[in-house]
Amino acid sequence: MSEETLEPEKWVENYADMLYRYTLVLVKGPDVADELVQVTFFAALKSQHTFAGKSTEKTWLFGIFKHKTMDRFRSSKKNLNLDITDADADRIQFDTTGHMTPSPNNWNVDSEKATENKELAQVLAKCMNGLSEKFHHIFVLKEIEGLSSEKICKEFNLKPTNLWVMLHRARNQLKLCMESNWLTKE
Amino acid sequence: MAIFKMTCKDVYPLISEEMDHTISFSRRVRLKMPLAICNLCQAYIRQLQTLRNLARNLGKENSQAIEKKTLSPDTKEKIQKYIKEKN
Repeated sequence: MSEETLEPEKWVENYADMLYRYTLVLVKGPDVADELVQVTFFAALKSQHTFAGKSTEKTWLFGIFKHKTMDRFRSSKKNLNLDITDADADRIQFDTTGHMTPSPNNWNVDSEKATENKELAQVLAKCMNGLSEKFHHIFVLKEIEGLSSEKICKEFNLKPTNLWVMLHRARNQLKLCMESNWLTKE
Repeated sequence: MAIFKMTCKDVYPLISEEMDHTISFSRRVRLKMPLAICNLCQAYIRQLQTLRNLARNLGKENSQAIEKKTLSPDTKEKIQKYIKEKN
């Protein structure tokens, strides 16, 4: 017998809020998040036999959750129009000489150490919520789920150039949002 | 030569693009020049890298990015009931 066992009666108490918070980062809207948490627990209940006790219960649940989230991304592509429209224009401004304005600065954070900063992570999560559904989707797949560009293009039937344009604009939008919400300018 | 005419405005999308796939040799060459001389481009690269590092961290199991939100009591009850019945 392994040390790790499943205790489904305690799942809600132990993991519901954790999963919910996590879902809110990955998908837009509390309703979708709510649904994903439910789907995860229901699926977990049915897949208890797959638990080998090699990981913790939490990690196992998390794996199922990740899986369900990807399913959700896949199914949403039918309703999501990923064409680039006028509303998706780059928000970054340039002056007449072609320089970004305001100039990019160092944000006063070390890019490696930034991950230790909980507040900064919260600002990013908040800023991600301000992205359009389309940009949010693509940013999550690329930067959080870590999917390759090829995979995203294939999955969503996207031209690589369109993907890059969208990722670039999404990043710029996040950059601007981070700057106006938290980071002090030098 | 076109390479010398490249403004920062042209460079930024390439910087971002390079994060997503290996860009072609000719484009890499075009990028090299402004990156070597442009401090602002360097700062921009670091910003994107910070964004990327932060985002990757958000995806981890122990991420605490959104702290105060909780699943609604109704949904919790619904799941709890379901588990009790089906388990």
